[in-house]
Amino acid sequence: MLLKMFVLSGSAVILWLAPLAALDKKVSWHKSAQGLSLVAAVSCAIGAGNIARKLAEENEIEQIKTRAITADVVDEIATSAYISQQQRQQEAEQILNPREHLERSLALTYDGEEESEPITQHQLAEPEQNDAQNAESERAERALQLKAKGWGKAKIILEVWGVSKGGSPKYKAAEAEYKRLVEESA
Amino acid sequence: MRAAQLGNYFIAGCAASSFLGWVASLHPMARRAIAFLAATAFILWGLCWLLDFSVSGWLKISVQNLQAFLLAGLAMGIIGAGVFLCS
Repeated sequence: MLLKMFVLSGSAVILWLAPLAALDKKVSWHKSAQGLSLVAAVSCAIGAGNIARKLAEENEIEQIKTRAITADVVDEIATSAYISQQQRQQEAEQILNPREHLERSLALTYDGEEESEPITQHQLAEPEQNDAQNAESERAERALQLKAKGWGKAKIILEVWGVSKGGSPKYKAAEAEYKRLVEESA
Repeated sequence: MRAAQLGNYFIAGCAASSFLGWVASLHPMARRAIAFLAATAFILWGLCWLLDFSVSGWLKISVQNLQAFLLAGLAMGIIGAGVFLCS
């Protein structure tokens, strides 16, 4: 295509200039040849222009494809870098979770076994206390909801604490807790 | 490639102008017809140059492109006619 375009361009220029310069206008067949060569020159130039236009459009499409591929590759690299960073961060968080971190810091802070043991136990017991508090608050919330619905005391204790009415110590403890919660909320 | 395309169309325009000159040289009537055609084209060219903003809006192209087309057309006509007349 490219070669054809260059050949047609060269032919157009030659067919345009050569007959006009070389041939005599006064000779009839020279004049006819000049006319024919000018028509051929116009045809060749238009043909070469059309080929050049097609090639230019193909080049633009190739450039757009190249830009799109480059953008995809850059996006892929950025995504993989982000994912690997997230993975590293998660791994670091898993390695340095709070309990281990606490243990490590305590182990570094206290050298003696006698001093470190009670503090460590106290620190490690904190999550268990939190769990108990959470369970108690959940029970209180549930009990108050049921009371607001008009449920009776015995039914609420059975539903929330799972203890049936009677003289058992468990029921008495649950009843006392229920009364305390109701008084606190009042 | 874009330059090659524009160059080839420019050569085509120049050769077409030379061809019109060649047609004008065939017969006095043809010369008058071509002269009338050239005068009409020149008047239209001048109007387009003066009313460039209106014409560019009508043709839906930018003013710069319209002026480039007009200047290229004028150059093609002058070069084509000049080559034919000087040969």
